[in-house]
Amino acid sequence: MSEASFSGLEPLNIVGNATARVDAVERVTGEAKYSRDIKLPGMLYGQVLRSPHPHARVRSIDIAEASRLPGVRAIITSENAQIVWGAGSISGGRQYNDPTKEITLHRRYIFNNPVRFVGDSVAAVAAVDRHTAEAALALIKVDYEELPFVLEPEAALADGAPAIWPEGNLCPDFRNNFEPMVSDIGDVEAGFAEADQVFEERYETGFIHNAQMEPRSALAHWQADKLTLYTPSQGISNCRHDTARDLGLEDHQVRIVCNYMGGGFGNKNQNQDADLVAATLARVAAAPVMLEYSRRDDWLGVHGRWPTVQYYKIGAMNDGTVTAMQMRGYSGMGPYRKNSGGISGMDVYGCPNRLRTIFPVYTNRTTSGNFRAPSEPHGFWGIESMMDEVAYKLGVDPVEFALKNMRRPTDDRPFTNYSLDEVITTGAEQFDWASRRRATPGSDAGPLKRGSGFSFMMFRAGVGTSSAIVRVDSRQNYTLFVGVTDIGPGAKTTMGMIAAEELGVPLSQLEVVSGDTDRCPYSVGESGSRTTIQTGYAVVQAAKELKQQIAAQGMPSGSEVLIASATPVPNTDGKTRQCFGAHFVEVEVDTRIGTTRILKYTTVHESGRIINPTTARDQIRGATIQGIGQALHEDLLYDPASGQPLTTGYYRARHLTHLDIPDIEVTFIEVDDGYGPFGAKTAGEAGIILAPAAMANAIANAIGKRMTSLPISRDKILEALA
Amino acid sequence: MGDTKKPDKDSGNPPPRPLNPKQQSRRDFLEGAGTTAVVATAVPVLGISAANAQQANAVSGPTTSIRLTVNGVSHSVDVEDRWTLVELLRDQLDLTGTKIGCDRGECGACTVLMNGTPVYSCSQLAVWVDGAEITTVEGLAQNGQLSTVQQAFVDNNGPQCGFCTPGQLMTATALLNNTRSPSSDEVRSALVGNLCRCSNYNAIVEAVVSAGEKQGGAA
Amino acid sequence: MKSLININASSISNAVAVAQQALGNGQSIVFSGGGTDLLQQIKDGTDRSDVIINLRNITDASQVASTGSGTAIGGLITLSELSSSNVSAVLAEAAASVGTPQIRNVATLSGNVTQRPWCWYYRNGFNCYKVGGDACFSVVGENQQHAIFGGGPSFIVHPSDVAPALVALNASFIVSGPAGERSLSAQEFFVLPSQNPQRENVLVAGELLSGVNIPAAPANTVSRYHKVMDREAWTHAEVSVAAVLTMAGSQVEAASIVLGGVATIPWKLAAVESFLIGKNLTDAVAQEAGALAVADAQPLAKNGHKVPMTSAAVERTLISLASA
Repeated sequence: MSEASFSGLEPLNIVGNATARVDAVERVTGEAKYSRDIKLPGMLYGQVLRSPHPHARVRSIDIAEASRLPGVRAIITSENAQIVWGAGSISGGRQYNDPTKEITLHRRYIFNNPVRFVGDSVAAVAAVDRHTAEAALALIKVDYEELPFVLEPEAALADGAPAIWPEGNLCPDFRNNFEPMVSDIGDVEAGFAEADQVFEERYETGFIHNAQMEPRSALAHWQADKLTLYTPSQGISNCRHDTARDLGLEDHQVRIVCNYMGGGFGNKNQNQDADLVAATLARVAAAPVMLEYSRRDDWLGVHGRWPTVQYYKIGAMNDGTVTAMQMRGYSGMGPYRKNSGGISGMDVYGCPNRLRTIFPVYTNRTTSGNFRAPSEPHGFWGIESMMDEVAYKLGVDPVEFALKNMRRPTDDRPFTNYSLDEVITTGAEQFDWASRRRATPGSDAGPLKRGSGFSFMMFRAGVGTSSAIVRVDSRQNYTLFVGVTDIGPGAKTTMGMIAAEELGVPLSQLEVVSGDTDRCPYSVGESGSRTTIQTGYAVVQAAKELKQQIAAQGMPSGSEVLIASATPVPNTDGKTRQCFGAHFVEVEVDTRIGTTRILKYTTVHESGRIINPTTARDQIRGATIQGIGQALHEDLLYDPASGQPLTTGYYRARHLTHLDIPDIEVTFIEVDDGYGPFGAKTAGEAGIILAPAAMANAIANAIGKRMTSLPISRDKILEALA
Repeated sequence: MGDTKKPDKDSGNPPPRPLNPKQQSRRDFLEGAGTTAVVATAVPVLGISAANAQQANAVSGPTTSIRLTVNGVSHSVDVEDRWTLVELLRDQLDLTGTKIGCDRGECGACTVLMNGTPVYSCSQLAVWVDGAEITTVEGLAQNGQLSTVQQAFVDNNGPQCGFCTPGQLMTATALLNNTRSPSSDEVRSALVGNLCRCSNYNAIVEAVVSAGEKQGGAA
Repeated sequence: MKSLININASSISNAVAVAQQALGNGQSIVFSGGGTDLLQQIKDGTDRSDVIINLRNITDASQVASTGSGTAIGGLITLSELSSSNVSAVLAEAAASVGTPQIRNVATLSGNVTQRPWCWYYRNGFNCYKVGGDACFSVVGENQQHAIFGGGPSFIVHPSDVAPALVALNASFIVSGPAGERSLSAQEFFVLPSQNPQRENVLVAGELLSGVNIPAAPANTVSRYHKVMDREAWTHAEVSVAAVLTMAGSQVEAASIVLGGVATIPWKLAAVESFLIGKNLTDAVAQEAGALAVADAQPLAKNGHKVPMTSAAVERTLISLASA
């Protein structure tokens, strides 16, 4: 077991105690119904036809033969069903912004013409069974005019590159201006002039599919003008609103149900085209339709983390003081701007002169979008690799270098609390950094070389306002209504624990109702690590309100119930609320075959007060392991000549297995900054941010060569050492 | 390029329009986006031959009658030759606890026990398991009592999203039937064919080891 | 999945007869052992057979039996059974290195030896040599995993783990077909792409690998299968080494070294074998053998890492056998 906690906090009754999930039994017996497990009478099966070309104009679509196939009930195509998928492409990548969706220049439809990547949707079929639907797809004849394509973001911005949109390949910002994203602080040129030494390097990262175990599906059921969608969603309220808008309905005409879902890590936010396709097929066929994506459909048709190229330039004094930081980045967004394309990390340094310019670029690869800490792991890997290299070149211990240069609270930028020093020094001590690190990288004799690496971060959760409703009846049964879904972290359980704690009742006396927009109030959604603090805050306020009612009126009797609700606006008095973390890892690289083996992995996080130590620990462990996969294995390779993806699926992406996994040691430093529910902050994305950087720095420390391309696969290690 | 009225010359899709229907009439929206699918009528209006829409069923492929025992219940069933075991379990026998993650033998979510041994049910044709005894996750609890490993998963946070959990449980059950108290290394080797993208591997191994310690004793 | 017909064969001869009948009807056929990879190929459309002939119900083709001159192994033995058999360490270790327990519980020796390549071009439906086309897209494309030995015009790597072990054990391959049974040496059974770029062995439609015969080895024989993978399990070999050595004390009397994962067929290292004979198996000799192993390697643009990897794998396999 690998958990420890340093806390000077007053213990609570429920919060802070390791608690089994309230729905654990359903999860281990097969009773839990995921979207694809639901059956409705007369239900049809849907499938999507996808483009085999990276870029092509559709001249015509012939559905005659397919529609004659017995059992086929509906066929929709880009010729007969043009529905805007508002969340599929948003100027500036502003995914939660309705006004931006309205003015978005480069619209994505559920079926597009031209098609702009291998896997872009062209048509869909509903039939009496999935095999018939699949057979019908094969009978749809699409006449394509193939167009030139471009796969790499830098090449896409070069003169003469094929234009994926009429205005070219730089994605427009939220005002539809074709400008890169720029953050310019201080005077970077003055900083370089001041520096004793200037360092430059190019880094690049790959496409990481979210690869949640549950492939996307959506069951659409119309009853008159009301649509019910059983769909895996990380935000039922947003999904309802987006779906209603895209279909020309009012919000109340759409009901989203998601009681269980098989992971998402960011690719089940908002609505997805599958929801709109299923709804449209069901409308046309006048029957419920279960749209099923295959694993390949999911890999190509949904999204993954954007691949990036990052050029860094760092100026530093010989004593290790950083005077200037500059980064020019390119993010490959695929042909639609689903999300920001951000490359984060420079902001954890306090250097007064920082210039960051990021070009989000259209390419003819599959679409990029949110994956757990969307802008961070690749960005932190880039900058912390760069800074690690600078530290060693200056002869400074990277931990000392971080403590010297990291961002600290200032009078004009206060924090709710700041514990990064404690996090880093605690981790260094637990890990025994001083003796595990190789002062001279690559200095081990022999082919098996050990080295240790370190990374650190601060991270701010997403914001948003949620509601919660709490009810009590005369038998003192409490019910909490919250619009969350449990995508894996255990939101149902943490919401219940927060309510039970505030109400002063055992968790067993409280039922949590979630995952249904017709039964639950608005919630911001399970993205941005914000459920615990934002929706949890609403739960606390609703419970407080109920307690006041009980105090004033007494407990209800007979058939009476008391109901309280709250929609508080979270407020941190203008202070930044960050969580903090540091990872330390020792690896052994087999320099003859390129293998990287993890010997010890230590994580220290400050995420405020921990609500449920068990699930919080496993958020850190799981996210860290995902980050290790990003560091060592995952990418989506394309054939440059044809634009075809070659490595879809778990086998080809080399996802980590039980045998690849080290024990991840987790320590939480617990504090209460006075703002979160019982002092909770944020944990869901924290672990993944640090793992690629820590791994890369450990590998560099072991082999004495800086790996500048993710994933750090065997072939690259052997090439670097050749 | 902010002129949203300009036709999108490069696109077969219609030119961009405001898409919030609340700021326009419903009729405008339907015409504008061509969303004929949302008209309030049950009559199919999109590209589908009406005659065909009335046909009841697809022509099924070749079928074979098989018998098998699932969770102790014997079934006689006509299966299409192309149906996989997991399709039979989920679609015909309503045992949806077994999940399809990849349908290619790449993830392990569909693991069931066939005559006591773990196999990928996505990679077996139903006709191949004629006469076999199959155990799925629904067959682990007895008389409402969770099995030792199920209880260990509850106690040790074995599931995160829960989608790989049935498969992990089936492989772990087979291991614990043969090795009463496996080491963590033995658990990792036995469960290597079950991926978990939540990457809850540490907790799963801890759960199986603790289940072994609990059941103890020799095989 | 496309519509198909499954026929359960009751014996090898029945399987062959059923196959002939289907072929006579103009149907395309495929034999299925464990079926894991076959069903993937059917779902992906890279195998378009009309009829699957299921061999799983055949009970008399999965035994391990001693013959006068060695051991006969039925082709339908599962890899789980093979991995716990005591025929030879190299064979058991090779079987145990395949896939996962779930796959090995159904996968067969024959199925593993005759498994189609895992080249990502072939598996993604490119019209390459393997499907009757006239190109190998890896040559100018993504060839990180492709062959450094025996390539041209196709550069797939042979995907089997069991095959290199069998070749190292000097096994003969029993082919059953309409003309009856024939026994082939490894050289006769496996086919270079220069001979036939479409297939990896001599089997034609209606023929199957029904078993193997392994000649008896001298008592002082040691063997090992060493597989280098891109993750700790559940992948095909980046490189693998099947080594069988007959020792006289620390001196090598006979050597059989075969590579997997780097060549278009199981790749016998004849020069290394003759180099080793008569040598004391020291670290220096192992290192020299490792260098010699890749002397003829012809890497493509992106698979150069396989050269030092192969060299290291050969060297380490020999060192591990020296202390065995």
